[in-house]
Amino acid sequence: MSARMQGTDQPILETRALGKRFSIGTRFSSEGRRLVHAVDNVSLTVQRGETLGLVGESGCGKSTLARCLVRLYDITEGQLLFEGEDITGKSLAGLRPFRRRLQMVFQDPSASLNPRRRVGDLVAEPLRVHGKLGAKAIRERVVELFDLVGLLPDHVVRYPHEFSGGQRQRVGIARAIALNPDLVVLDEPVSALDVSVQAQIVNLLADLQEKLKLTYVFIAHDLSVVRQVSNRIAVMYLGSIVEEGPSEAVFSAPAHPYSQALISAVPVVETTPGGRRRRIILSGDVPSPLNPPTGCRFHPRCPVAQERCARERPALVEHKAGRKVACHFPTI
Amino acid sequence: MILSVRDLKVSFRTDDGIVRAIDGVSFDLAEGEILGVVGESGSGKTVSLLAVMGLITDPNAVIEGSIRYKGRELVGLPASELRLLRGNEIAMIFQDPMTALTPVYTIGWQIAEQIRAHQRISKAAAMKRVEELLAEVNFPNPHEAMSRYPHQLSGGMRQRAVIAMALSCSPALLVADEPTTALDVTVQAGILDLVRKLRATHNSAVVFITHDMGVVSELADRVMVMYAGRIVERGSRQDLFADSLHPYTRALLGSIPPLTGDKPHRLPAIPGSPPSLLRLPKGCAFAPRCPVRYEPCDLGKPALGDGNHAAACFRTAQP
Repeated sequence: MSARMQGTDQPILETRALGKRFSIGTRFSSEGRRLVHAVDNVSLTVQRGETLGLVGESGCGKSTLARCLVRLYDITEGQLLFEGEDITGKSLAGLRPFRRRLQMVFQDPSASLNPRRRVGDLVAEPLRVHGKLGAKAIRERVVELFDLVGLLPDHVVRYPHEFSGGQRQRVGIARAIALNPDLVVLDEPVSALDVSVQAQIVNLLADLQEKLKLTYVFIAHDLSVVRQVSNRIAVMYLGSIVEEGPSEAVFSAPAHPYSQALISAVPVVETTPGGRRRRIILSGDVPSPLNPPTGCRFHPRCPVAQERCARERPALVEHKAGRKVACHFPTI
Repeated sequence: MILSVRDLKVSFRTDDGIVRAIDGVSFDLAEGEILGVVGESGSGKTVSLLAVMGLITDPNAVIEGSIRYKGRELVGLPASELRLLRGNEIAMIFQDPMTALTPVYTIGWQIAEQIRAHQRISKAAAMKRVEELLAEVNFPNPHEAMSRYPHQLSGGMRQRAVIAMALSCSPALLVADEPTTALDVTVQAGILDLVRKLRATHNSAVVFITHDMGVVSELADRVMVMYAGRIVERGSRQDLFADSLHPYTRALLGSIPPLTGDKPHRLPAIPGSPPSLLRLPKGCAFAPRCPVRYEPCDLGKPALGDGNHAAACFRTAQP
């Protein structure tokens, strides 16, 4: 497989049949050593400048996929390409030039910031590790970054606990953009924040994207936030992508029965009585990835499943331009 | 009225001074009514309901005001009498079902224990009742589920088990504190359905605490919005969402990205963050973040008006 080298057409990030297996248990545990397929056969492309939203419920593998995308996890199957270059098997040293350009923001800013170090120091760390800047230049850059994310210059001497949740997330974002990355993977960046603060951070991320020409992979379980920020979205279920397409098209007319149920389940503020949307309530729970169902992994909970679904696993197929669905009976 | 709370105040003595978590909260709840309580973390929504349940046992807490359940005063009631009410007539569901279940006994055992604590029935009869309850909360295989331990169930199933426990004595009042926050949306939809069904079958009054405006608008008959320990707006669901009065309610509703229709280029965000209860402003607690603040807002705290739809705001004329 040769990478397409047609300049602008080339995706900034691409996965080819990417998979991540974890081994759990030991040979002494009752079931022996087993493999969990947390991410299974994911092929995605991320174009420069866009925001790809990744949605799905807990346990669907979206965070595992996020960590694979920045190579925080070793990838067990398939390939990961950054600007056409295969970085699947690169050593830690070989990855270093890519790390600078591929950053991540985590969900819980109080867990990802060392409580014993001043926030200015935390933001300066990537500059010290990767950059060739002197101490004075680093100090100036930190103040500049604080300004970019809406913090005050004298905040640099504070400790993480002196900030509110929203401000801490700003620190996390400042640290992620310190090295002028090209792509930032955001794993539930607003989920831990108060409702009234979420919108600030969503706006900040949009401003930074515009100013710094960033590409985002935005992961969240809050569908309305994902819709707000994304150009394209991918819906995950049990480790695989079941639907992918332009955000507007998928939200207004989801084609996979799971996407339909997921979007219909979101509670929204309704002001017109009787104007309630039709709700699809799924039976049962998400199956364990240790023991996934045969055929289509969604079939035991699917309202339109037929006998074929239990036997044959549907592939992710492009039905219309840019719209891919993994279902035998998509409504497209 | 099944529940009448008047001028409830809860303060905690801390090393940094007195924190007034609840500052004069009053509300009523009628039989079979679902009251939604919305607010952010620290707004006092959980503390006010813990006070109603008599679950604030911190020796540094000071509770003032009146909480009447079916006309009976609960503030100052001895623990032993409260215990007879709790679990029997008043039940509570918490955010994290794991904290409400013990990991070392089966689901069936735990629910049966709850029933036998309040009713004089045999073990076998209690177990039979457990099976009925689990069926009522949509366990696919209730008999088998009884012998399961909490860790063998998914989050949604655990929350269903806790709801079954809460229902075991057909409570007249059910207090649910963010029961779906830890759950996925598809599971949440099922739990919300269940709460609606229970109200219909048991005619229980429900107080539903959440930070999610969408959940409230799906479920509640009446809504109470809290900010920094006070009620800032109160009204029917229709009033509150279609015609909100308080700038905080409006701003909060405006800052939620829409799921359908046009998306705004930028979200109308609320500046700043919720205030620390230790350093509350002298005037209206929302004033520092308020888009329509003027002089009176910094001088005194606005009172919540009377009437079915009221807001605690100097700017907003009473409807």
